[in-house]
Amino acid sequence: MSQVLTQPAPQRPPWLAALARVNAVDIVLWLLRIGVVVVVVAGTIGTILKDRYTAAQWVDFVVFGLTIGAIYAQIALGYTMVYGVLRMINFAHGDFVMCGAFAGYFVATPLSRSGFLQDHAVLGMSAILAVSVLTSTTIALLTERIAYRPFRRVSGLAPLICAIGVSFFLEQTFRGMFGSAVKSYPTPAWQAVAFDVFGFHIPRVDVLVIALAIFFMGGLYLIVQRTKMGTAMRAVAEDGEAAALMGIDVNKVVVFTFILGGAMAGIAGVFYAFVYKQVYFYMGFTPGIKAFGAAVLGGIGNIPGAMLGGIFLGMVESIGPTLFLDGLGIPAPYQLRDLIAFTLLIMVLVFRPQGLLGEKMAKKRA
Amino acid sequence: MTEDIKQPGFRRLVLLTAAMVAFGVGVARAATAGPVTDDIGVLRIPQGAPILVGGSWVQSGPDTALGLNQKRAVEIAMKDLGGKLLGHPLKLDAEDDLCTAEGGQTVATKFAANPQIVVVLGPGCSSAATPGAPILWQVGIVDICTSCTAPKLTAADRKPEYAGFARTVYSDIEQGKADATDAVKMAKAKTVATIHDGSPYAQQLQQVFADNVVAMGGKVVAQEAVAPTDVDMHPVLTRIASAKPDLIYYPLFTAVAAQVSRQAKETPGLEKVKLMGGTSMLSADFIEGAGPSVIGLLFGNPDLSPDAIGKGYSKFVADCKKAYGEAPISGFHANAYDAPTLTVKAIVKVAKPDKDGNLYIGRKAFRDAVFSIRFEGISGPIACDPYGECSQFKPSVLEFTSGDPKTFGIGQNPKKIWP
Repeated sequence: MSQVLTQPAPQRPPWLAALARVNAVDIVLWLLRIGVVVVVVAGTIGTILKDRYTAAQWVDFVVFGLTIGAIYAQIALGYTMVYGVLRMINFAHGDFVMCGAFAGYFVATPLSRSGFLQDHAVLGMSAILAVSVLTSTTIALLTERIAYRPFRRVSGLAPLICAIGVSFFLEQTFRGMFGSAVKSYPTPAWQAVAFDVFGFHIPRVDVLVIALAIFFMGGLYLIVQRTKMGTAMRAVAEDGEAAALMGIDVNKVVVFTFILGGAMAGIAGVFYAFVYKQVYFYMGFTPGIKAFGAAVLGGIGNIPGAMLGGIFLGMVESIGPTLFLDGLGIPAPYQLRDLIAFTLLIMVLVFRPQGLLGEKMAKKRA
Repeated sequence: MTEDIKQPGFRRLVLLTAAMVAFGVGVARAATAGPVTDDIGVLRIPQGAPILVGGSWVQSGPDTALGLNQKRAVEIAMKDLGGKLLGHPLKLDAEDDLCTAEGGQTVATKFAANPQIVVVLGPGCSSAATPGAPILWQVGIVDICTSCTAPKLTAADRKPEYAGFARTVYSDIEQGKADATDAVKMAKAKTVATIHDGSPYAQQLQQVFADNVVAMGGKVVAQEAVAPTDVDMHPVLTRIASAKPDLIYYPLFTAVAAQVSRQAKETPGLEKVKLMGGTSMLSADFIEGAGPSVIGLLFGNPDLSPDAIGKGYSKFVADCKKAYGEAPISGFHANAYDAPTLTVKAIVKVAKPDKDGNLYIGRKAFRDAVFSIRFEGISGPIACDPYGECSQFKPSVLEFTSGDPKTFGIGQNPKKIWP
């Protein structure tokens, strides 16, 4: 008599099951990741073996990276706070920086001409920062009230398009009022001095910008973490409707957020102008875009993440071309700095889509 | 209204034109109109209608002075030419090309779409001319550039779509050679580094410079590049410092050039290195951007002294002051002044009126006239070679002496130090 035996299908080992799920896109992505890692490692080893740069020059690269990174971080804070509270990308934020830098210019120039900025550095810088912060904050508040608030409950891309429109409006307004030529910030003598630390030459203006940026970012962090309004901000960021039901005035929180963002933009504008000296109507665009990238890298909506993302981006821009590409013999690698910075940014996001310090959003928030 | 004429047999001519385009020879359409027959088209300007001249210069942004200066020169020239020609008023339609490829393309497309345009003067930037000139020549419009100096635009091996391009300014083959001579022989630089911004002007000029430095026995220790929007030059300058050059050559545009000038003085190892720029930096705006770091900065420029420049230059400067309340605010004004003169001479040579007072200009005939006319311009002799190079270069070296933009004046700040 014949007998049919039913046996359970042989179970595949887990690694084989995982392998079966791999598709062509996965393979390409892994090849891309491996390629980037190989370039970075091989380039770094090649550069170190070449031994073209002195220790002092490496320190310079780090200081330059920290300086621009600190500025990116401050700008990124504006993006990330507004996104955290309103879930909106404020593309005009880079132009708030430009407005602050312009306002600072109109104070710095007469102060410099009169010698006040040279003789009373602290008072002079405080006045420049105060006017810059006031201007950026005022423009941020007006933008929120006039342009953004009507879109508060509008879904889709309309708020984003509105933000882009505000950006163009501010640029062209400043161009119309102050011309399209580049204006130059003064250079008081105390700013041109350099510190000698362990034999390394570190420009005083860079130290000042990094230190003050850390100070202001620390202050902002404390405001958000330790004050009543900061707690309300975090509550609205978590769930606006629930926060309103708990008695939090959401409008007040949004206004407070724009005040903080505008103030940081004003400070960043002055720092940017004191390091790079030039102000003109379009100056906010590029750092704005980069700072937005930094905010995304750090985890948009996350304040320490924005700081970390800014510093990371600045460091990669400054050190990356030399460290990664010089050793590979690529000519004029500095022109590829944006490519390097944003490739690394993409690589980080591929591995960690929520950003360096971002948390995975709850379904409702996402 | 001015219009292109379509005659019987037009379809055949279109086919012929298509064949010409396929061979990359020419464009537009052959036609006969009034008393004129032309291989690529005839422009008819009705009685009393203006002779419309397009103008393409940068008129906004950090390089405004470069374009505005040339626009003014063209306006003065058109006024000097009487403002009228063969019974028709001369009219300039100037557009802002932003000194970018995108801007040049947009402006050229706009002019190409206007059948009234006789000729386009400008651009002032090679970046704008490189994509713009082929668009214009595709419809038979000649482009007489006033300060785009990139060598490839008038090179012997240039592509056929540039056949309608000429310029009343020299090639950077000359400028680069002169700058290299200044760097090696006058500034005594044995090692040089260059920086460009990827634009046709800067990239080609620094390469010509580098090649000539090497030919003269010097050494090129670095050839770096930055983006036109970059502000932080410290890393690239630190890279250059590691190569220990005697001189850095950076023929860049205003904003980036000002950043390099300032930050080079702050970069360890480069404090004493000689800096040499390009004519694109010849403006008060550059001094404003760079501040005191401009002092001692060298650059080559056409010699504008009375014994080197053409007759009429002094009168032009006086006219400029009278018309605009200031002397020329940047370079290339003499070259720009000569472009409308060349245009008018070419129109006079080929234009034919009919009995009703309409004027007819054959587009190919006009192009050939531009390429064949010779005259003494205020920038010097104008005589085009077969590739559209119409100007000559008499080099001089200028040096900035003050960081105050109010002191800007060609001959004063920067002052001529050679010959």
